[in-house]
Amino acid sequence: MDAKQARIQELLYELKVTDVMRAGAITTRPDQTMTEFRRIMRKHRISGTPVVENDLVVGMITIADLIEFLAAGEADCQIRFKMTPNPECLCSDQFMVHAIRQFDASGYGRYPVVDRQSRKLVGILTKGIIIEGMLSKMAHALKEEEIRQYRASHIFEDINAEYKELYLTYEVVGKDFDRAGQASTSMKRNLKRLGIQPDIIHRLAIASYEAEMNTVLYSDGGVMEFRIAPEEISLRIRDHGPGIEDIEKAMQPGWSAAADWVRELGFGAGMGIPNIKKCADKMDLQSIPGVGTTLNIRIFTGNSDQTKSVQERNTQDSRAK
Amino acid sequence: MTLRDVFTELSAKILCGSDEQLDAEVATAAAGDLMSDILARLGSPDVLLTGLTNTQAVRTSSVSGIKSILVVRGKPVNDSMIELAREEDITLAVTELSMFTVSGRLYAMGLRSGMDSD
Ligand SMILES: Nc1ncnc2c1ncn2[C@@H]1O[C@H](COP(=O)(O)OP(=O)(O)OP(=O)(O)O)[C@@H](O)[C@H]1O
Ligand SMILES: [Mg+2]
Repeated sequence: MDAKQARIQELLYELKVTDVMRAGAITTRPDQTMTEFRRIMRKHRISGTPVVENDLVVGMITIADLIEFLAAGEADCQIRFKMTPNPECLCSDQFMVHAIRQFDASGYGRYPVVDRQSRKLVGILTKGIIIEGMLSKMAHALKEEEIRQYRASHIFEDINAEYKELYLTYEVVGKDFDRAGQASTSMKRNLKRLGIQPDIIHRLAIASYEAEMNTVLYSDGGVMEFRIAPEEISLRIRDHGPGIEDIEKAMQPGWSAAADWVRELGFGAGMGIPNIKKCADKMDLQSIPGVGTTLNIRIFTGNSDQTKSVQERNTQDSRAK
Repeated sequence: MTLRDVFTELSAKILCGSDEQLDAEVATAAAGDLMSDILARLGSPDVLLTGLTNTQAVRTSSVSGIKSILVVRGKPVNDSMIELAREEDITLAVTELSMFTVSGRLYAMGLRSGMDSD
């Protein structure tokens, strides 16, 4: 359900007018008569058309204009005298969210869609087309996400081998604060697709993110390697230095050598490594000053007797305080 | 009480967020400026109060399964934070009130801690 909501949200911000509009709209020319317009509307069962001259939109003519014309009982005349000239248009490269806002603000029921550069008519958008178009795109996108999840979650069942493992590797760039955490958040998504239990995803994401942040904040960059096997998920994160002088100290809750710029960003409580230890079933931290640091984390996914109990995690937590 | 009610009560300005999340009921909250402290408590409160305005506040929430962030003390929020919040499907709002006042008001409104360790 979560993934579906995320997908719908994403879709609204991804879709452009050109993805939803009806291309090749039925149009009229300004020199056609109102009688001809009436015939065209009947034939195509539509309630209005853009009026086009030399591929450019010069007006909009709708059923309301026709009714007014008929009620007045005037002699037949050209569309150009009854149309709304120079109507507001949408551009095909506009995002749907903006187009929908424009519909809301103006109260119009239809918009001609033009190309931004040439201003030529490329299609039409009505409220009906929006509903139809969005529904079909959503159905399509959701199916895709479901298929992805289904496929991913069956990978271990469907593939036959004596050992089944999946390795996913991410590069971590040192000191790139804004992108820090990308590997851990995309890994979280991957694990969701793989159908891993939510509590395990939660623990792995936290441990992975703390480790990734340390690598970004304190090292010159490194590599994160996730290994997903039927019984466990592990992470090895290796960096290119400078390494940790006193590992014992670094593991102590509350100990931090973070610089001021790190503290200003909301890090440096000295809780990261203890937190990783708490989330993992097994953790191993090794460092050679001047060379680099390697952290190994293992989380058991099956009902392994190596999985830490809730009590074990909590006693460790109270010690950490 | 919905998330929208909470934001209205605190005169908070909504920076991004779907109607679906804004209309969802909220019952729990947590507050903090230290990211590891939030992560270490292993909870997924409905709202996170923080004075920290950077992309990592969003990533910390995403990793912790927190769906909405309320920035206190009217700290300016930059576009990259809003953009990431949108990407991660997290609602983001800002209020002029202090962390202390916001916490007190939310408690009085019936919200409770969303952290496992409290
Ligand atoms: N990969 C690394 N390379 C070099 N030093 C590291 C590395 N990881 C951690 N450290 C050192 O170990 C210290 C403790 O790390 P830890 O993650 O526990 O706390 P912190 O990062 O200081 O604060 P917090 O994680 O709470 O934001 C850091 O301050 C840093 O000096
Ligand atoms: Mg840390």
